[in-house]
Amino acid sequence: MAEQFIGKASEFKDGDRQIVRIGEDEIGVFKHEGAFYAYSNFCLHQGGPACEGLTIANVEERLRPDKTSMGLHFTDQMNFVCPWHGYEYDMKTGCHVKDKSVKLRKYDVVTKGNDVYVVA
Amino acid sequence: MSSPRTKKAAPKAAKPSTKAAKPAIKASRAASKPASDEGMTGRDKANFIKAMMEGIAPKDASGKRPPIKVEAPKKVEILRKISAPTPVERKSNPLSDEALKFAARLEEKFANGDFEALTPEATQALMTAICKLYSANAEAGNKFPVVKDRFSVTGTDAMILCGALLKAVDLQVFELGMWQSWSGI
Ligand code: FES
Repeated sequence: MAEQFIGKASEFKDGDRQIVRIGEDEIGVFKHEGAFYAYSNFCLHQGGPACEGLTIANVEERLRPDKTSMGLHFTDQMNFVCPWHGYEYDMKTGCHVKDKSVKLRKYDVVTKGNDVYVVA
Repeated sequence: MSSPRTKKAAPKAAKPSTKAAKPAIKASRAASKPASDEGMTGRDKANFIKAMMEGIAPKDASGKRPPIKVEAPKKVEILRKISAPTPVERKSNPLSDEALKFAARLEEKFANGDFEALTPEATQALMTAICKLYSANAEAGNKFPVVKDRFSVTGTDAMILCGALLKAVDLQVFELGMWQSWSGI
């Protein structure tokens, strides 16, 4: 595993992402809230392009003590959604939002000055 | 078929011979590996490591060891860049500022689970005015996203409202699709 240069940090706005191929691996690199995250672009469901779909905040239904609904609300957690069948992964961990044992391969991202490297 | 008893008896009979073999194994281990580094010269250590390495990397037919493969650097290729959506430029006028404040108050009520902040009549009036205003703008070519960003309403919210609007004017989803392909709006 070595650090592979993938671009300049200044080229990434918050919310931008880049799909890169490093050797045999296809990787999605996200910039979210100032930090970089990198995951395998192969969805754990059926191998779809996991990192190329919508990015969307997590939706939760709030309940009153008597279990009646207070409506659907977005939370602070950001997810990205596989465009093929909608598997939703947590941006910060790569875990499936409902089943934490389903987890995309995560790559370390290192920034040195303005250079961004993925360890792969 | 042998009974379980005869099966148990077999290992017992074999025991003495296993015991007898044990000291021989210990002796051969002791010969191949020194118990400690004490008394070993640097040359002895080098020979020991060399012998270990020879055991790991087998020689080829000519008696030479194949050269150690150095991993080739991986090729990095940028496949796609996906940009974050750019927010719509904000303009302002007194009525819009008032509407923004009113919307913020409604959002606050909703966040606290108060669904009845507006009466059905008030909701209908607001929806009607917004529906007409948005459509007139779109037809006039002044298109802008109907909600501020992807996190303003959930997919469920959007489907419920779209369904209700279509039902209110007695339209099917099929007709909506046909109209969209004809009109391009
Ligand atoms: S392949 Fe990703 S959700 Fe099915």
